[in-house]
Amino acid sequence: MVSQKVHLSRAERDCASTSSLPRAQEDSEYSEAEVRTQRTADIAVGCFITLLGIFIVLASTTIQGGAAHRLPPQTFPMVVGFLLFLCGIALAVKSWRLRGTDLAIKWPDREGFLTILVTLASLAGYIALMNPLGLPLASFVYIAFSTWYLKRSKWPTAILIGLITGIISYVLFIRLLALSFPEGSLFGG
Amino acid sequence: MDFSWGYLFQGFATALSLQNIFWALLGCFIGTLVGVLPGIGPVSGIAILLPLTTVLPPTSAIIMMAAIYYGAMYGGSTTAIVVNIPGEASSVPTAMDGYEMAKQGKAGPALAISAIASFVAGTISVIALTFFAPMLANFAVVFGPPEYFALMFMGLSLVISLSGRALLKGIISMAIGLGAALIGQDPLTGSARLTFGFVKLLGGVDFISVIVGLFAISEVMINVEQRIAAISKLDISNWMPTWSDIKRCSWTMLRCTGVGFLLGLLPGCAPSVTTFVAYDLEKRVSKHPEQFGKGAIEGVAAPEGANNATSTAGFVPLFSFGLPTAPSMAVLLGGLMMYGLQPGPMLFKTNPDFVWAVIASMYIGNVMLLVLNLPLVGMWARIVRIPFYILGPLIIFCSVVGTYSIRFQAYDVWVMLLFGVIGYFMRKLGFPVAPMVLASVLAQMLETAMGQSLLISQGSPLIFFTRPISAVFMALAILSIGWGIWVQVRAKTLTAAVEDEEY
Repeated sequence: MVSQKVHLSRAERDCASTSSLPRAQEDSEYSEAEVRTQRTADIAVGCFITLLGIFIVLASTTIQGGAAHRLPPQTFPMVVGFLLFLCGIALAVKSWRLRGTDLAIKWPDREGFLTILVTLASLAGYIALMNPLGLPLASFVYIAFSTWYLKRSKWPTAILIGLITGIISYVLFIRLLALSFPEGSLFGG
Repeated sequence: MDFSWGYLFQGFATALSLQNIFWALLGCFIGTLVGVLPGIGPVSGIAILLPLTTVLPPTSAIIMMAAIYYGAMYGGSTTAIVVNIPGEASSVPTAMDGYEMAKQGKAGPALAISAIASFVAGTISVIALTFFAPMLANFAVVFGPPEYFALMFMGLSLVISLSGRALLKGIISMAIGLGAALIGQDPLTGSARLTFGFVKLLGGVDFISVIVGLFAISEVMINVEQRIAAISKLDISNWMPTWSDIKRCSWTMLRCTGVGFLLGLLPGCAPSVTTFVAYDLEKRVSKHPEQFGKGAIEGVAAPEGANNATSTAGFVPLFSFGLPTAPSMAVLLGGLMMYGLQPGPMLFKTNPDFVWAVIASMYIGNVMLLVLNLPLVGMWARIVRIPFYILGPLIIFCSVVGTYSIRFQAYDVWVMLLFGVIGYFMRKLGFPVAPMVLASVLAQMLETAMGQSLLISQGSPLIFFTRPISAVFMALAILSIGWGIWVQVRAKTLTAAVEDEEY
């Protein structure tokens, strides 16, 4: 969330660091992170947004329906598409023409990226397992796995918290609140 | 529809029913918890719980949601003071002096003064809300669709131009939020929009999935990447502030209430902005500005008070215009709509029992929070010590349960995951999140208001400029965007453009 100011000259790049938040950010392990600048990122994002805008404008032309004297259903999507298209171009061009101080983006290091990927993949697995396994069992598997993954040494804690979450989700959401979550075959659902 | 004591007393009677007291207390508790815990804030907390509260009657549900909101404002300060991790962006100034005080062994008084300042500012603001909101609503009854469209348009453009100097990114963020909300069936004609042939997308993208993804999931991603394990072992045994501390802060509390409340009425002036303004103001008027940043007790009271004043002030435009001024207000607005309550001036007329019960519950909630926070400060500080490898997966579990219960479909959870990834990149690349949230909640109202206006004017967009009230709003909207562009042009370097990304 907080950007470090990094000057473009190599010599300055290593030493400059201004953080607007106190200690919390300074402690994080970013030193190994590759420095990709805000400028290149903005150019790339600008191009992507431009394409997205074109895509939405094209998609809006296929929308059907509407009656006389009424706001046609195409108008709002069309406006969104044009806005994205124009702002995307503007962002890319503005960043392209930029001179002077640039900013570094704090990307995570390799390990950080891996952690994020596994976190997302396990969340995806959780969602995918929700219907076949049911909420209690899927929650147990998910919580136990990701807690263990984030702190390998604490596997007994991971299993315990997974169990508690699974049981609470069954008792609270399925039994007490009677919400229509998938129960899974384990509980005879 | 003017303010009447009768309505207020009736509201108190409803709010003081055993059931509503329970929900308010639960809300205060969850709110403080949500504020204390890093990685989850009031916005995601409310959004996750919203679909689950449909079992409650609307009044109880909104009382609880509101309590979560101002409860989180109390709780956010605890982590800032004890471990120097501001739970919310709005608590950043609190951390400056609060953590210094904690290091000097004065964590207790710092926590206590922040609870007291929050209480004072919160209560004064609720009094202002009580008299202000009906007055404004009275003014807003004459609003027709063009005025509403212009008002929402102004709200969005203010949020964009105030969300830092990154104007282009603000507009892009808003446009994506708008686009996401348009996916699905057009409410008027029923024709499929932006579904690209996927039947699933016909159901649309629910704003709760968007918000939980943007706030909870991306926050967890940021946290696991940093591998936060930070947990402090500060001893908080002596938590009472002395009378001289309170006396020293009494004017501070009043000043920050004024600043926080007045700025909080504007769309886009989230607590994260007003707390900085209040802190800065205190530093300027203080006789000892050199103590600020080194553990000045006013430096804790000012942002904490402003924080609560702003969050209460946000209810004024929400109740009287139906206009959300910040993401958390947008979620509450979505909640109101989920219960079939049309927010806006008519709310005071059609559902006075509801509005006044919620307002009355805020008086009670502020007392509850003071009681909950002062003696339990030690417990909250201990909760901060829950390590993230336990907290992170639990936050995701709550998010999944919350979004799944929107329609009991895995589809909404997938949408949440997608917006989690989008939110992560937005934070990394300096895109403000608030415009996206507001746009996704307001999209449908905007389109309906525009459709109805064009029906009145038989297709002429000039209607927005020929009716006086809507013309004023449109002019303000155009002015704020113009001002944003002007700042943008002046900010030649990227440094300036991205420095204010913090939201």
